[in-house]
Amino acid sequence: MMMLGPLGFAAPWVLAAGIGLPVLWFLLRAVPPRAREVVFPGTQLLFGLADPTPVTQRTPWWLLALRLGAVAAAILALAGPVWRPGPQIGGSGPLLVMIDAGWAAAPGWQETQARAAQAVEQAQAQGRPVALWLADGQGGRGDGPFFAEAGTAEAALRAAAPQPWETRYPVDPARFLSGAPKRLDTLWLADGAEHVHRPALLAALAARGSVMVVPPSRILRALSLTGGAQPALTLSASAPGDLPAILAMGPDPQGVPRQLARLTPPPPTAGPGGVTATLPIDLPPELRNRVTRFVLEGEASAGAVVLADDRVRRRKVALVGDARATEGQALLSPLHYLREALAPSADLVEGSLADVLPAAPDVIALVDAAPGAQAEALAQWVAEGGTLIRFAGPRMAAMQDLGADPLLPVRLRPGGRAAGGALSWGAPRGIAPFAGDGLFAGLSIPAEVMVRAQLLPEPDPDLPARTLAQLTDGTPLVTRAAMGEGQLVLVHSSANAEWSNLALTGLFIQMLDRLVQSARVDDRAETEATAAAGAPHWQPQLVLDGLGRPQPPGDLAPVPAAAFAEGPSPVAPAGLYAAGERRAALNAGGPVTPATWPGAVVESSGAAPGTALGGWLLALAALALAADALGSAIIAGSRRPRRGAA
Amino acid sequence: MPELLLAAERLAAAVDPGAHGLRRAGSGDEFWQYRPATEGDPAQAIDWRRSARSDAAFVRERERQTPQAAAIWVAGGPGMDWTGDPARPTKADRARLIGLALGLILLRGGERVAIGAADARAGRMQAETLARDLLAAGPADLPPPGTLRPQRRLVLIGDFLGDPAPVERLVHEAAGIAAGGALLQVLDPIEEAFPFSGAVRFRQPGGDAHQTRNAGALRDRYLARLEARRGQLSRMAEAAGWHFGTHDTAAPPAQALLWLAKALAP
Repeated sequence: MMMLGPLGFAAPWVLAAGIGLPVLWFLLRAVPPRAREVVFPGTQLLFGLADPTPVTQRTPWWLLALRLGAVAAAILALAGPVWRPGPQIGGSGPLLVMIDAGWAAAPGWQETQARAAQAVEQAQAQGRPVALWLADGQGGRGDGPFFAEAGTAEAALRAAAPQPWETRYPVDPARFLSGAPKRLDTLWLADGAEHVHRPALLAALAARGSVMVVPPSRILRALSLTGGAQPALTLSASAPGDLPAILAMGPDPQGVPRQLARLTPPPPTAGPGGVTATLPIDLPPELRNRVTRFVLEGEASAGAVVLADDRVRRRKVALVGDARATEGQALLSPLHYLREALAPSADLVEGSLADVLPAAPDVIALVDAAPGAQAEALAQWVAEGGTLIRFAGPRMAAMQDLGADPLLPVRLRPGGRAAGGALSWGAPRGIAPFAGDGLFAGLSIPAEVMVRAQLLPEPDPDLPARTLAQLTDGTPLVTRAAMGEGQLVLVHSSANAEWSNLALTGLFIQMLDRLVQSARVDDRAETEATAAAGAPHWQPQLVLDGLGRPQPPGDLAPVPAAAFAEGPSPVAPAGLYAAGERRAALNAGGPVTPATWPGAVVESSGAAPGTALGGWLLALAALALAADALGSAIIAGSRRPRRGAA
Repeated sequence: MPELLLAAERLAAAVDPGAHGLRRAGSGDEFWQYRPATEGDPAQAIDWRRSARSDAAFVRERERQTPQAAAIWVAGGPGMDWTGDPARPTKADRARLIGLALGLILLRGGERVAIGAADARAGRMQAETLARDLLAAGPADLPPPGTLRPQRRLVLIGDFLGDPAPVERLVHEAAGIAAGGALLQVLDPIEEAFPFSGAVRFRQPGGDAHQTRNAGALRDRYLARLEARRGQLSRMAEAAGWHFGTHDTAAPPAQALLWLAKALAP
């Protein structure tokens, strides 16, 4: 690049064409404008008249200047002028262009690509070998950088894209640089966040030569989800500043995806390095259950998207029991335990069946009671996708037509059984470990849980398939059956401490949470297919690309639970996964810690990569040519004589 | 044709040549006045019906009329069908309008009028014939032979930019048989001002072209030639007892019409 003051030329040899301008001047001067033709009856009086001064009519000087200006502008434009070109990378040896390619680089990816392309172009002009390394943690390019002609790096650069996981650096810098030249300069296009293994890599590169770091020009922002009873969105930013709004996206009642809500984050608090703001998700349950993802407005990166999974959905649970039993002693009421267990994580509705059915709950817990007159409406509600959880109890055991009740997953024997009482033979039973692929997989069973009484089903070939939890003697504790689009669940013991002490333990809350969250899982049919033996695998349903756009998973392999637990990675990109009936999202965003660069030259963010003037000059040349055509038309093109003084 | 006739009637109504009517007693058809008989009046001149109403004898006099004939010719060459500005009528349109209006004025004065060599007739009915003949006239600059007759005046309307020799011959011939007349040169303002400059290729309508590199420098000489042509026509008309006038299409046609009517008055 040739420099003329603040003006640099990418192709200075084109300027030599400027020598031709004076020749053009002479040529243009010699060509007169075309005579315009005029119909004029007085021509007869003109015959025989000779021009008084037989000098060739010259092109007007301003037209000439316009044409020369257009040609000069075109020559200048082709010479690739750049106003205040970006800083030159020092050194003359091999150049390593290191690009952070995690989700954090996505918002400024265009600039990053342009800056890298500029560096590669500069290196090409200087004849330096160039290696491009994308720090996206994907193998396949060997252990270390490969130095070659700049053209190879350019092609790789064009194909590069940010990835939906965190930037990943080589674990072992020595091994990474084993094949590289002893001296090399580095241009590091950083995403601005701190990542593991970065200090070691920076030290190793600084030991080989100069390191120039280009930080992103914009503030890095990320969105993450904190689960729990009240899920909250956490907005992290690498520097203080205005926080963008959070948009809740999802299908509207017609099924058309659109923005459902716009959440304004609270004022941020300064944390270690950056700032964070926490916003509890406080939406009406009908709206909240429809949300499929939360996105940061104006941030195109996978880290600014939180996909909604079972954690976000807040179920509406209706509790229906016998009102008489709740009078007086609260601790004896089964509804009390359910209320305490579900209140933090679900919206509760209480009343009789006739009262709660019009509220369209997701789950109805029917405690120790029969549907009675509402049986038909309840059956229809289940068939349309509701989840009915029934708890056994003394009143249910005393029902005469228990075996004929259609709203039970299994056919029950009337009477039930008691174990461990004064008149029984056996001791109270514990709960058998849960099946590894079942709904309750992974829950730990406290040793003190004992079941003293339960309702027993009739023997049935389907019984094992319908059993979700069983006692140590193999009799079912929780059974379930599908009915229409919904499901019927029966807990064969009571919801209070009368038949078992299950309701007094934390396991009761966890089991209820699982049961409630399994409500309305759309593709329940896949459950049996994907639940493989042994450790569960997470089946990707939808993945994000680096820019936060949802994509179909393609042929992505199911992710083992161990890899899934480690967060987004090349084998498990950010996205929505399903295992059995549970749906969980891997979200890329997390806390953002700004990176520091000891021992490296940091390019100031204000240093623009230079303003290329070529396009403007070409436009100017085109404009001048258009004006020239207009001027020529004014001089010669018009056939109409000018209005004269008559 | 109706448009032309209507415009010409409006124009003719607006123009009153004034001195045309011979308001005195003479030999004519129209009643003029009764006057007391004097010595020398023949007896058959006495109007007995009028005289019987009083004691004196009265003579019935008629208005003196000098019916004359006139022929009008509007040049129809391609150069006439041109205007320098769409807002102005073409020279041919203006010339026809003036010609027809003149014919209407002459008809009003009781004269016989014709276009070209046609038979001159008087009366209101002749107006439509005039308009039809004017529009149907051929593209000739000069009237067909036979137009020139003794005691018949001839009005030539045209631009007279072509060869002046045929016009001169015609005027000489007319002078020879004592036929009076008038020449009206109708020009566009562009032709009178020559507002051109730069490289221009002048093309005559339906004719040759003249190319120049500097039209501005030709202006003075063009205007001089035009002046010379007018002088020549004027001298020629004067020598033959004719009248020569000019008109440009930007001016109101009434001026030229008034001039023509006065020039034709006896």
